[in-house]
Amino acid sequence: MSSRGFAILGDAPMFGTPIPVGQLYFPSWERYTEAFRGIFERQYYTNQGPLTRILEERLQTFLGVRHAICVTNATIGLMMAADALELTGKVVLPSFTFIASAHSLTWAGLEPVFCDVDPQTHQIDTRRAGDLIDGGVSAIMAVNLWGGATDVAALSALAESAGIQLYFDSAHSFGCRIDGRPMGRFGRLEVFSFHATKILNATEGGCICTDDDDLAARLRNIRSSYGAGGPVQVVRTANGRMSEAQAAIALMSLDDFEANRDNNERLFRRYEEGLRDIPGMRLVHPRGVSHTNFQYLVCEIDESHFGLSRDALVEALRAENVLARRYFYPGIHRCIPYDQELSRYHDRLPVTDRLCATCVQLPIGALVSPSAVDQICDFLSRVRLRAREIQACAAGGAASGRADTTE
Amino acid sequence: MMPLSESLRKTRLEDLALFGGERLFETPKSTSNLVRPDFRRFLDYSRVFHSQHHYTNNGPLVRLLETRLASFHGSRHCVAFCSGFWALAVAMKLVALPGRSEVVMPSLTYRRMADLAAWVRLKPRFCDVEETTLAPSAAMVEPCINPDTALILGVHPIVNCCDVEGLQRLSAERGVPLLFDSVESVYETVPAGKVGAFGQAECFSLHASKLLNGFEGGYVTTNDPALARRLALSRGYGFEGESNVVLPHGLNAKLNEVHAAMALASLDDIDDQVARNRRRYVLYRDLLPAVPGIRLLQFDEKERTAYKNIVVELLENWPLTRAATLELLNAENILARAYYSPPLHRRSMAYPHVPADLPRTDRLAARFMLLPCGHFVTDDDIRTVVALLGFIQAHASAIAPRIATCMGARP
Repeated sequence: MSSRGFAILGDAPMFGTPIPVGQLYFPSWERYTEAFRGIFERQYYTNQGPLTRILEERLQTFLGVRHAICVTNATIGLMMAADALELTGKVVLPSFTFIASAHSLTWAGLEPVFCDVDPQTHQIDTRRAGDLIDGGVSAIMAVNLWGGATDVAALSALAESAGIQLYFDSAHSFGCRIDGRPMGRFGRLEVFSFHATKILNATEGGCICTDDDDLAARLRNIRSSYGAGGPVQVVRTANGRMSEAQAAIALMSLDDFEANRDNNERLFRRYEEGLRDIPGMRLVHPRGVSHTNFQYLVCEIDESHFGLSRDALVEALRAENVLARRYFYPGIHRCIPYDQELSRYHDRLPVTDRLCATCVQLPIGALVSPSAVDQICDFLSRVRLRAREIQACAAGGAASGRADTTE
Repeated sequence: MMPLSESLRKTRLEDLALFGGERLFETPKSTSNLVRPDFRRFLDYSRVFHSQHHYTNNGPLVRLLETRLASFHGSRHCVAFCSGFWALAVAMKLVALPGRSEVVMPSLTYRRMADLAAWVRLKPRFCDVEETTLAPSAAMVEPCINPDTALILGVHPIVNCCDVEGLQRLSAERGVPLLFDSVESVYETVPAGKVGAFGQAECFSLHASKLLNGFEGGYVTTNDPALARRLALSRGYGFEGESNVVLPHGLNAKLNEVHAAMALASLDDIDDQVARNRRRYVLYRDLLPAVPGIRLLQFDEKERTAYKNIVVELLENWPLTRAATLELLNAENILARAYYSPPLHRRSMAYPHVPADLPRTDRLAARFMLLPCGHFVTDDDIRTVVALLGFIQAHASAIAPRIATCMGARP
């Protein structure tokens, strides 16, 4: 361990190499070589190849869902989903989510209706969602955050009573369960992300899950599927295919799922222990699930008790080579073009605005050792002792940095 | 050299697979390139991202690939994408004139091209193509330009190129931006130079069926630094840095590092591949004249070309319909395909488009087909395919009635 100083104040950084937020689990070089030797022998590279077919079958079994449709990434999966669901007009979604959720609607020609979230769980506020439904709304896109879950039962009841569709952006939720039931079967469909920062890694990738045969057939036609299912009428097709390379990596990642989840849990528990007595710092526990993947480590900072602003903290951590992030930041309703085109939301999302100003994402995953967690927690427990100096040092800087941890 | 007849092993009508005979090929012979780059090279590249734990998001190999491709095409910038489809979609969105609604595109082209326009809310207006090149020209595009034209899509056909300079002149005269779909012209030159540096931008694919195999992938070349920046921002949600959204309507269209490793290994092999393609093409060119009624579309060897695609025209004296011919070939596991058929203006579209009447395109769309090419096709395969065409031609009068029954019997 290096000195117990502060890199932002000129001391040596805590870590010699940067520690990204995660997840970045990836097969060993030997397994990678072996898997790709197979692809080069088969010479089947894409277009619903043998590995993609196996992956889809294994995902269907793992998730207990009739259809798992693998895609090149989750954003394009959400775009395809909006088309396949034949949505029109407006869609209610939280603003406290990754911007891709809203992008998918814009690409599909739909208008986002931003809903505030619950201050404790950070999940979409079902009651407020109900208030936002009018005749122009065709669906709710609920986002399951942080390995926790939205109130699926209440949202389902709401959607049913309003006669609109409900679907889930479950980019954070692979391998999580609600009352013992794997996520993937809720609403009309769920979209998972297999981005490198997620617990299931295909470098880029994702899958759309549904029990609805007709919807699955439309999704396969929009994706372009080369023989998987017959042609059905869709408005427009796209290229949403997952390659054999992505499928190979996802399959190995699926083999490793339990081990990686267990590793996440060990690290999470260690953080839990280390952060327990730090005033002004609240670790966000995944709620609403009976089983989580522990793929996110998110804390809320209460500056008045912690002594340091969230932004200054992120900057101080980055100086230590801990690539902590403001996440999500800013709220989607404050990003272009929505800040201009939908400016009415500026004063309607107080919880979202507060969370965007106070949440910090810390490293958890393949490149994080237990001792690194101890060092980070130690840093967090003593940073307040020199809060004033650190705050002054950080004042000029926004917490920007390398973009390679963006999903 | 093995004589044609020996390579065929079919002497009676019953020997044709469609009529119950054994298939000529166990493994399908397709029109997809499916080139396999050197495995060790692929691993050497892979080691770079693997050792850096950098699997996507503008990683070291994507950056290297972009540099290499820009230099290969002689363009100032190159931006890689997850597919040619989304490369083209993003480029169309960024290049189209704001406030205008139409894109001019040929009807005789990629089957998803009109869908692509629908994703970026442009209304396709279909133009005709030149009889000699199967490509749009200034003369074909000009009548389609009106005050609502946001964009001209210049699409290179799959053999040789469209008239780049003519389209550039038209674009300049009419003040309408020009985007090239150069998916089939990675290696090509035109009189004005190397494909990749023309129009506002040019779009390419790294799909396994194309000249450069990157599993899936695509890229855009341009000489315009501002456009290059917007392309790169758009593919990553519009983010500059981690939390600064500086461009609206982004998405995720990033190329991952494994695909970039594959594309780099393919790029290393490109000249050798072209030599292999040329050998296949020359064999087709030498053998096909023996089959009456079939004309090979020849590459213009005054220019640089990849010799990748084998396209033939069925002439007036070819004795069968194209559909029947394809049926016979496909039954043998020769996955020959109709050339861009039906053309786009004949497809049903549930999104806004301009209905078109294009008799020339209709006529051309009925005449051409693609024969097997690429990595899986050997010299012997080519001899066999040509011999089969000869056999079909010679026995057409007996085949025609039987095939009519076969095709009629299907639901």
